[in-house]
Amino acid sequence: MKKISIIGAGNVGSTTAFYIAEKNFSDVMLIDIAEGRAKGKALDLMEAAPVRNYDAKIDGSDNIEDIAGSDVVVITAGHVRKPEMSRLDLLEVNAKVIDPIIQKIKQYTPNAIIINITEPVDALTYYIWKKGGFESKKTIGMTGVLDTTRLREFISKELQVSTADTTALVIGGHHDYMAILPRYARVEGIPITQLLPKEKIDKIIKHTREAGTEILSYLKTATAHYAPAAAIAEMVEAIIKDTRSILCVSACLQGEYGIKDLCLGVPAIIGANGVEKVIELQLTIEERQQFEESETVIRKAVEVLEV
Amino acid sequence: MKKVSIIGSGNVGSTTALYLAEKKIADIYLIDVIEGLSEGKALDAEEGAPIRRYDTELRGTTDFSKLVDSDVVVVTAGIAREPGMSREDLLNTNAKIIKSVSEKIAKYTPNSVIIMVTNPLDVMAYVALKTTGFALKKVVGMAGILDSTRFRYFIAHKLGVSVRDTTAMVLGGHGDSMVPLPRYSTVGGIPIIELLPKDNIDKIIERTRKGGAEIVSYLKTGSAFYAPAAAVAEMVECIIRDKRRILPCSAYLRGEYGIEGIFIGVPIMLGKNGVEKIIELELIPEEKEALYTSGSAVKKVIEKLEELGVL
Repeated sequence: MKKISIIGAGNVGSTTAFYIAEKNFSDVMLIDIAEGRAKGKALDLMEAAPVRNYDAKIDGSDNIEDIAGSDVVVITAGHVRKPEMSRLDLLEVNAKVIDPIIQKIKQYTPNAIIINITEPVDALTYYIWKKGGFESKKTIGMTGVLDTTRLREFISKELQVSTADTTALVIGGHHDYMAILPRYARVEGIPITQLLPKEKIDKIIKHTREAGTEILSYLKTATAHYAPAAAIAEMVEAIIKDTRSILCVSACLQGEYGIKDLCLGVPAIIGANGVEKVIELQLTIEERQQFEESETVIRKAVEVLEV
Repeated sequence: MKKVSIIGSGNVGSTTALYLAEKKIADIYLIDVIEGLSEGKALDAEEGAPIRRYDTELRGTTDFSKLVDSDVVVVTAGIAREPGMSREDLLNTNAKIIKSVSEKIAKYTPNSVIIMVTNPLDVMAYVALKTTGFALKKVVGMAGILDSTRFRYFIAHKLGVSVRDTTAMVLGGHGDSMVPLPRYSTVGGIPIIELLPKDNIDKIIERTRKGGAEIVSYLKTGSAFYAPAAAVAEMVECIIRDKRRILPCSAYLRGEYGIEGIFIGVPIMLGKNGVEKIIELELIPEEKEALYTSGSAVKKVIEKLEELGVL
């Protein structure tokens, strides 16, 4: 069995463990510094196994050394937003949380592929990449898979079609500047630009941009975790099973799209080695502009980080 | 599409919604009195649908009239015990909540099957039955599947075998007085009494009995929800698909096992009408006695509620 370690056993971390257990393709080690939290959730998941028919082993620990020998490490540690906060507000405080984790990954499981979810994702994925000196293809941020599942859900709601028939691409940063590409949002291959009037599409785009905040405004004391965890589990599966799925992720760019030394959302082939290949879309001038706005914001954000 | 309503959108309620969405068997309504809680969780789970490939509808609301036409109603509502609160106060408060919820179920969806999850569930199932005036088979409590899934996990863990090959039977009330039956608990059809020494079995039984408390001791601020929700979802599926599986559940007894007029955990056949049949196992005297002890504990709590004037 392959081994996935999830650092941070909050809602996103433990729901990711839940989805991976349901997929039944690898063992999971949940790690959290809060004593008992990871163990309790792991045991609860194991006690569900006889009913749910999985034989993956879900373990919990408060000792980060237990990440040793992981194929994939998912980082969901750190603070989450409170209402009225932007994701970028979390940059410095979460960089401090992640610092020791980077060192431990280097020490105990240096060859693992790292998936970062800690916000702000693009900036902190860059931080992990540079600070840890990891291979660019092995350091990935989870962003676009979540943004696209939300976009697909809203498209299917608007058109009253099954989500199974929808596809979508969201590139750029995982924040208010995300670049949503209606030309590449399709229902059974048909661009939504042919199926919906512009004002409807604009509304859906706005809804997608604000989707995380919308959930937060409902739940008040918690952020979204079902859709984010489903997105992470999808990425983990692509890596473990080497499916080479094309997924939108925050990738460490080294010249693709003319951008060097930054992590930004792009479509990529995800397989056993992580980012197997960044796919370069032929963007229109307008789309390019959106993408570059995103680049500027992230580049400015990472300036405060010492790497 | 069938419709399942879940009252109470805490961890158990919303995780049940997630398991049900994964099973793709019914549209789901999450209902909670807390503004935004159900809406937020339902929307979050819906936004996961394109990845997880389910097209069932998930809705969240504070409006109980949305219960209308539910095939199954799962009740997980209730408050958790707060510091300084006596068990009696908690019982009293939650019984009142269940009573009020039951009135709404009777009003809006009189033909549904109710699955009671709120603890003490054997008692709360009785409150729901009495309040709704539903047919006896239409109210069923979730306990034995949770206790037996824990029992199965511990057996599999001890023997180093797959959980898939295990079965386990746990009778009685969902609490310290539960009655795990090693004679009816098997691995690949072989009773565990042939596979494990008695002291090992005793240890596993003790751990099963305290399974809920063990999780609380780890989590500190919360209780178990993955295994409980998986158990609830299993029961819902049985009812929606009329699977007629034999599962340990809390059912109203009218003389079966020599017990009359209370809900207690026994193996039943679970189908579209709820409790299709109660299965009477052959019990040895000590098993029987344990079941009676468990039954009198449930009866005492009901009497307490009658004293308090809640029933």
